[in-house]
Amino acid sequence: MIRLLSAGMLTAIACLALLSGCKKGASASSSNAAAQQAAEKTASGIEMVSLPGGTFTMGTNEGNPDEGPAHKVTVSPFWIDKYEVTHDQFAKLQLPDPSHWQENAKTPVERVRWRDAKTYCNERSRAEGLTPCYNEKTTEWDCDYSANGYRLPTEAEWEYAARAGSDSLYTGGSPEALRQYAWFVTNSDQKTHPVGQKKPNAWGIYDMDGNVSEWCEDVYSATYYNESPAVDPKGPPNPEKDVKRAMRGGNWSAPAEACRVTFRQGQRTGNTDACFATDFCGFRCVRRAPAQQVAQALK
Amino acid sequence: MVAVALSASARAATQPTAEQKLKATPFKIAWEAYANGNSDIWIMNADGSGKVNLTQTPNINEHYPQISPDGTKIAFNVDAGEGRSAVRSLWIMDIDGTHRKKIADEAREPFWRPDGKVLGYLPQEYEKFAVIDYYTKGMMFYHLDTGKTEPHVNSANLRHLYHPRFSPNGKWIVSTVHGGMGFSHAILLIQADGDKIINLKIPGCRPSISPDGKHIAWGSGDHEIDTAPIDTDSDNPSVGPWQMRIQDEKNKVYHIAWSPDGKFVSFSRGPDGEGDLQKKGTFQAACEIIGVYATDWNIFAVPADHPRVVNLETCGPADVEQLTKTGDSNKEPAWFIPAKQGKE
Repeated sequence: MIRLLSAGMLTAIACLALLSGCKKGASASSSNAAAQQAAEKTASGIEMVSLPGGTFTMGTNEGNPDEGPAHKVTVSPFWIDKYEVTHDQFAKLQLPDPSHWQENAKTPVERVRWRDAKTYCNERSRAEGLTPCYNEKTTEWDCDYSANGYRLPTEAEWEYAARAGSDSLYTGGSPEALRQYAWFVTNSDQKTHPVGQKKPNAWGIYDMDGNVSEWCEDVYSATYYNESPAVDPKGPPNPEKDVKRAMRGGNWSAPAEACRVTFRQGQRTGNTDACFATDFCGFRCVRRAPAQQVAQALK
Repeated sequence: MVAVALSASARAATQPTAEQKLKATPFKIAWEAYANGNSDIWIMNADGSGKVNLTQTPNINEHYPQISPDGTKIAFNVDAGEGRSAVRSLWIMDIDGTHRKKIADEAREPFWRPDGKVLGYLPQEYEKFAVIDYYTKGMMFYHLDTGKTEPHVNSANLRHLYHPRFSPNGKWIVSTVHGGMGFSHAILLIQADGDKIINLKIPGCRPSISPDGKHIAWGSGDHEIDTAPIDTDSDNPSVGPWQMRIQDEKNKVYHIAWSPDGKFVSFSRGPDGEGDLQKKGTFQAACEIIGVYATDWNIFAVPADHPRVVNLETCGPADVEQLTKTGDSNKEPAWFIPAKQGKE
């Protein structure tokens, strides 16, 4: 079970959000870990969910070898997009949209390569006057986690947000319940769907389990859980050869087993030509919580 | 069996090398290369001799040369600036590098109509720069005699095209599309003066039609280039089974181009990579993309009449000739008939 870092956090988050220029959303808030968290609209009108930091059990001993061992991880407070990044958001930032299905502006972008996703993060940061997290002059676009701009989630942040306070490996508690929360091979009609049509998880975040799989910041390593730090793990060092980055969450073509919140995969970052990109790779952004929120959480 | 082997071996020994065949052709090849801190357009003889840097512009990056059918003019792209504020513009100049003239900003991938009177190009999708090749919207035609530009009649419905080429009869424009016009990814024939679009249903990208209009060559994978029959005089062309396949398991092969007599194809070849940001004025993406530095990439040529597979890792000098050796991002070869001969 997730342990929140501080009670009454959401009141503080709401105040801090106002101080930092965000518009308060309409979602209900509660100090209960299983209740929806505060939703905010960013300066560019994108809804994010503000998550308190907490300690949770990451991974499982009952899945694939790379999903274990289950281990305790603490993550700092952060904000995460309520929905996967969509075509209209890409277009607003004048970015080339590589997606297969573009008929509906509210379906998630896919066939997005890791660096495309990072480009979006930096452009969105600039559009909102924030400091970009990624250094575009380095080969791997090194991430400055202290910057206040947008970035991809770490695997720990992603799983923390996907679990939403639950111990279950599946949102909704079972593979059978997954239909209510996710577009996956059983119900997707072999394509993506507009975001936010299924039920959100307990923290009010949509499509974490399906529609498109989501890029994370971490280098992927099947054995990382044996050695990862207990606080804010950011993935193993870059091996600089045959690098794969972590991708989390199910997608329109995935079976239910691949939609469990602990399921992991590593994907090449995509230096092959556009014509060979895969059409299930999408993403959503996170942002570090304002410093005051972090300080409050640590009290 | 031994006799057959000896006979084949003897044939190979007496067969002219690709270099010898290329030396006998009157054609030249333009291409782009990055040397001494920037990208320039070069020309060379078909056998790789006589290399000349045509542009020699230390602070300007020229790319993607396309030669007019009469061999007198070169259309090309120029990249200036960095990041998303960079500008890619379209220029033409005389074949000797003089009389540079800008045609349009935010314009990409020029292609000549066979009569040489019109230069097609693809406008950039949005104002902000992105290096990715399919970042285009619409199609424009620049008329050299009047200096006026007009859109393709179906321009409003064309999006995310890249690497367009006219068919020699001027009837079609063959192009790749990625994530646009309702296509996931496809190689299309676009009617040059109408709204007909045909999906050729072949995998890959960067197609080019042979000078007689009867064959198509294209990159069928990162490591393969195929040729196959096609009849571009038809109202509904389709592509037949592949006839020649250029293969390299280790390196990428891209940017196929036919010689003016259709007897050779040239291409770029080199290892996978995502560019080198230490190279000023370049960008980061797949290394075959325009504006991305391709480490250890060179230009090669093979006779186009090879019966089946040309395995670049094992084939001999009769089958392939390496035309550049510097490895300095040598890409985008384009054959042409030298102007003097073209006028004859």
